[in-house]
Amino acid sequence: MLKLIFRRLVDLIPTLFVVATTVFIITRLIPGDPAAVLLGPQASPDEIAKMRESLGLNQPLYLQYVEFLGSLLQGDLGTSLGYNQPVMSLIMERFPNTLLLSACALALSLLIGIPAGIISATKQYSVWDYTVMILSLVGVSMPIFWLGVMLVLYFSVYLGWLPATGMGSLSEGFGSVVTHLILPSIALSTIPMATFARITRSSMLEVIRQDYIKTARAKGLREFFVVWKHALKNAMTPLLTVMGMQISSMLGGAVLTETIFSWPGMGRLVVDAIENRDFVVVQGTVLFIAVIFVLINLLVDILYTVVNPRVKLSNKGEG
Amino acid sequence: MRKISKAKALFSSVMVVSMLALAACGGQGSAPAQESKGGEQQAAAGQPKDGGVLKIGLSSTAKTLDPIAYTGAYESNIIRSIGDTLVRYTSDLSKIEPSLATEWKVSDDMKVYTFKLRDNVYFQPGKYQDGRKMTAEDVKYSLERSAKQSALKRLRGVEKVEVISENEVAIHLDAPNAALLAMLTDGGNIIVPREEVEGWKDQFGTHLVGTGPFMIDKFNQDDSVNLKRSDKYWGPKPHLDGVEFKFITDANMMTNALRSGDIDMVTDVKGQNRAIIEKDPNLNLQTKPGLSIEYMGLNQIEGPTKDKKVREAIRMAVDVEGLVKGVFKWGGAEKSFLPLPKASWGYDASLEAAVPAFNPQKAKQLLAEAGYPDGFKTELYVIASRVPQATIAAQQLKDNLNIDAEIKTVEWGTFSDIVAKGKAPLYIMGWSWYPDPDFFLYQMFHSKQIGSLGNGYAYSNPEVDKLLERATAETTDEAKRKELYSQAMKLINDDSVHVELGLLDVATGMKKYVQDYQVRADGSIFLVNDETNVWLNK
Repeated sequence: MLKLIFRRLVDLIPTLFVVATTVFIITRLIPGDPAAVLLGPQASPDEIAKMRESLGLNQPLYLQYVEFLGSLLQGDLGTSLGYNQPVMSLIMERFPNTLLLSACALALSLLIGIPAGIISATKQYSVWDYTVMILSLVGVSMPIFWLGVMLVLYFSVYLGWLPATGMGSLSEGFGSVVTHLILPSIALSTIPMATFARITRSSMLEVIRQDYIKTARAKGLREFFVVWKHALKNAMTPLLTVMGMQISSMLGGAVLTETIFSWPGMGRLVVDAIENRDFVVVQGTVLFIAVIFVLINLLVDILYTVVNPRVKLSNKGEG
Repeated sequence: MRKISKAKALFSSVMVVSMLALAACGGQGSAPAQESKGGEQQAAAGQPKDGGVLKIGLSSTAKTLDPIAYTGAYESNIIRSIGDTLVRYTSDLSKIEPSLATEWKVSDDMKVYTFKLRDNVYFQPGKYQDGRKMTAEDVKYSLERSAKQSALKRLRGVEKVEVISENEVAIHLDAPNAALLAMLTDGGNIIVPREEVEGWKDQFGTHLVGTGPFMIDKFNQDDSVNLKRSDKYWGPKPHLDGVEFKFITDANMMTNALRSGDIDMVTDVKGQNRAIIEKDPNLNLQTKPGLSIEYMGLNQIEGPTKDKKVREAIRMAVDVEGLVKGVFKWGGAEKSFLPLPKASWGYDASLEAAVPAFNPQKAKQLLAEAGYPDGFKTELYVIASRVPQATIAAQQLKDNLNIDAEIKTVEWGTFSDIVAKGKAPLYIMGWSWYPDPDFFLYQMFHSKQIGSLGNGYAYSNPEVDKLLERATAETTDEAKRKELYSQAMKLINDDSVHVELGLLDVATGMKKYVQDYQVRADGSIFLVNDETNVWLNK
């Protein structure tokens, strides 16, 4: 197993090479000169030329590419054009924030989504089932942007219970961070929560019709154990797949939530960087997210084998 | 049995959904009604109180506060609380007043500016010095650093800075320049201690140290900057204990944060948010015509607009008043006449009469005379935020002249590229800078600026060039300079280079308990100086 994990990690290299090259090309295809964008409207042509030179943008593209790959091999993601700081340190400052937000949203969506799905499945066609299904439909189709604004209008502006934006800081006490977390977590969790509820429901429905469940019931096991232990364990496999996908998209795509709530995470870093033509930051962040994506998929594959020993971790897993 | 429960299920779900919707709407609708309208605690002014932290929302994330590296106005607004320049504009921008320099004189050839420095100025303590006294050497170091390294050349034409005595410096220019003092007011030219700059190197941008009323307490990347009062500030003692600048990029969320009390003040309020703030009994909206204009540039050397008659026709065919009313439904702008904002001392209202009025018939006739009786096809470049302006202008050109202007919406990077290269037949953009006319007129109309964004229509008129040069090289006397600028603007108006559109307001929304804050036309935030000392009445 360890050997296989190592093998999968080695497989990462060509993937990352392709991602790196693609991002490099795409960022250069976007029209607009980073020097001009950085300097703003009042810059004169010679100021822009000077800036281009100092940013190394005057070199031919292939040289820039070689340099980019070269420093990548040394684990160096380059220096941001706008911040004038190493991209790695920019990411490392924001990644924990995104991780915190995503973790809370994930916990929230699992804690509510899975039980809701189970209740829905075990009480199929009941009021509970319909409520959960309709709410989950609303959840998946809710635009985060709209939901975010509504949450703030209600809980911050109208009721005044929770702060509207920002992250707070530990120096103001733990509570400050917690209160700042609540609204963005709810906004970020709606889609995964709804997805988890639906997946749990459908895979539970499949599982509880199977013979071994009937056997378990026939043996006189309490219903609670039948459902929450036997059935859920077997219904976990499809849930894990979806979970892996949702976590990746949460980490990479908390963009909207972070923008609405001014959460200082990676999503905002990327949006800002794209707007400012900060190629280096865009490249670095996309690569970073790609690595995370692959690692999470690997983790999900490993979890499969834990949850369901019949699944073998193969070298060419479809991660 | 099943049928009944199905119906019940449907009913209850509909109930849940509609309750959710109601709750959401209620949040928006009933909020203002809740608070009592009469609760105007409009500070019976009273004695200023000490204490409290003022929380200000800024619409962009500050990346660096290093005076030679910063690029955004929001960054300079933080810098201004931390550092001081030698001189600064009074809050009405009418004149330049002492700050770190107490007096100054200009040599006869206008190439040497000599400054006397204040004697009681101390730096804020930092990691590499413990709050020592500012010296003439520091001024030399900071200004030369800016002149040589500033990416945006916030100090142009400086040959060297000479230390004359302990508290006297002379700035030597390579050419006479009457706009030097205006440049010195820029946040990029604050005085900083060498040890800190060299000690922090690339990190100086997040550890700025200056001589101002507040010093950095904490710089939280992408989130906020916390400042606390500097005890050794040379000016009036600040009433505030500190300031927190919070970055909120979404404009609606900014207003929500102000209403909820997350922040006490926001700058740059636009659109519907103006109405929301004005309606809220706990908030004030202070607004003032700003140093910011919008215009449509007409290409001078390519396409149909090369012909002056076509340009005149276009100017007469655009109903600017209607356009400004349409775009700024909630206020925040007025019709602009000249390529210079009213808040600039160079503004000459007597020239307004020479600007052709809206006259579609005459326009049509001019266009026919120019050889385009049936109009023509062209392109109008804008960035996304100015699409409303473009839509109305294009509609008016179509209705009045049968000109088909295809609106090309591009984002800033592309826009500046195309416009600077003179490739846009028509474009709408904005311009704002210091109140000195040089920063508008020279940048937008001198032929030397062709190839940059300012003169993207490639306008060249030797007479205008000469007037614009004389206005900075010949004299520092404001009245004489104003006269030269008026002559230049008259020629520019006759050449029909621009269609002037809106003159934009600077609007600041704040809690009513914020006292003694003065909105400035240049949009910069000053919290403590001789004219103002912000305090919180709560």
